[in-house]
Amino acid sequence: MSRRLATLAAVLALGSIMVVSGLGLQAIPKQDVLGKQLLYLPTPEILKLASLGNQGLMADLLYMWSIQYYSQFSLDEKFLYLETVFNLVTDLDPRYFDAYRIGALIMSLQKSGDPAQHKAAVVRLYDKGIANMPGSWELAEVAAWDAHLVLNDQELAVRWMKTAAERPGAPPEVKRVYGRWRDNIHGWTIDDSIAYWEGVVAEATRKADINLATSHLYDSYATLHRRSLDPLLASIRQRTGQCPESWQELVEQGLLAEVPLDHLGNPYGVDPSTCTLVARKRIRWD
Amino acid sequence: MRAVAAIARNTFREALRDRVLYLFLGFAVLLLVCSKLFGLLTVGDEGKVIKDFGLAGIQLFTMLIAVMMSVLLISREVDSRTVYNILAKPVRRWQFLIGKYLGLLATVAVNLALMTAVLLLVTVVYLREFDAGLLFAAAMTLLEMALLTAFATLFAVLTRPMLGTVFTLAVFVIGHVAEDIWLLTQHVDSGIARPLVAALYAVLPNLERFNFKAEVVHGLGVSSGEVALTVIYGLAYTALVLVLACARFRTKDLV
Repeated sequence: MSRRLATLAAVLALGSIMVVSGLGLQAIPKQDVLGKQLLYLPTPEILKLASLGNQGLMADLLYMWSIQYYSQFSLDEKFLYLETVFNLVTDLDPRYFDAYRIGALIMSLQKSGDPAQHKAAVVRLYDKGIANMPGSWELAEVAAWDAHLVLNDQELAVRWMKTAAERPGAPPEVKRVYGRWRDNIHGWTIDDSIAYWEGVVAEATRKADINLATSHLYDSYATLHRRSLDPLLASIRQRTGQCPESWQELVEQGLLAEVPLDHLGNPYGVDPSTCTLVARKRIRWD
Repeated sequence: MRAVAAIARNTFREALRDRVLYLFLGFAVLLLVCSKLFGLLTVGDEGKVIKDFGLAGIQLFTMLIAVMMSVLLISREVDSRTVYNILAKPVRRWQFLIGKYLGLLATVAVNLALMTAVLLLVTVVYLREFDAGLLFAAAMTLLEMALLTAFATLFAVLTRPMLGTVFTLAVFVIGHVAEDIWLLTQHVDSGIARPLVAALYAVLPNLERFNFKAEVVHGLGVSSGEVALTVIYGLAYTALVLVLACARFRTKDLV
């Protein structure tokens, strides 16, 4: 009995010492000077060998570690090896969607260093992911939105959204966003824009998608028509000192063969204050 | 065949009585259930982490069960001299060995099936999805374990249990880095070294052939031709190793 008590006492005493010392150690902050943990990162080749066929698991572990590591914003130097770490994760699992997305997000958040270099690293990571996942439109779309909203680079956003729109299975929304962004930056000729939107309308199957694409097609046609008709209005105002009230006036004067119609077959109007073409888009949404 | 079946049945029963088996199985089930915790640590697709952990856990614990049980069960028969009683009956040595192997394989298969069922349950409960691809990955792992168990059986008749365990683990490791041996042939310039390395690659088992985990986790397609060739490769290699084991066991001095 006494031996049992002695054993129990010893266990309790040793357990107490262990717990107290553990708590004491916990109170001492572990410093990672200049991100020294990262200096010993193995190469992807070594990690692949060490994983014994479980590269996906190895990528998960490294990814989870990187999230914990980079979520502590105490040392700017932690970002020194950011690209290396996420390259390692994505070398181990080239189809790791979240690693590309979160890696790029962390890269774009870092404050220290050269922003141009950070942006270049984000572009490299996304380009790598887009190349490694040829069947996926999702990553290219995420990249495009990041370029649009975070990096504020509209041309890059258009490039990635184009990739997303051209990938198999891309929804109509992605194709519309690409066309609209491309229109916004005037990244193509008006004829190319019309050809693109006509393709989107032809591909669309749902009524809402057809209407939305038709709306964009309407705008492109209106832009095309403005280019030819607005100079005519301007020259008449210059010549006569007043703007025509309608296109019918020009037809009656023999300057036009007929009243110009919009893409939906409705006549255009004239805005007397600016003396320009007015397009009244009427699409039935029901 | 009746003798083989009887020995296989007894080996299976004997294995089920072994506590080591339940220890491994318990750890495996715990790991599978806890994979949800790892999933919580990630940002994004929790399902990928759960499946990666689950499939890797199944492979690791099935491998440990296959290696430990194979080497122990055969050496135990020799050490306890029960092998003499069996071989004194109209049972040939190869029948004894194949019976042992099949019994062990059945044990491994049942354990793997249990772990796979737990993983499927985990994915249904946590992810609300039934991924039939996990069954395919598990079936390929079973094929890999069939080959590994054959190696364990070979080493069990060739050497002592401890060495046999080490050798089988070495086969597991080498089998998973065999692809790199092939890559080595691309970098070797010397005239004689290249065919030597290529021959080494051809002889060593390539266990990465059975690895379809990435395809399953990412939902990628696998061609039926590749699956068929993998099955043929696995069965042929397993049969070859068992023939070698039987040949050695036929002339082995059991005294």
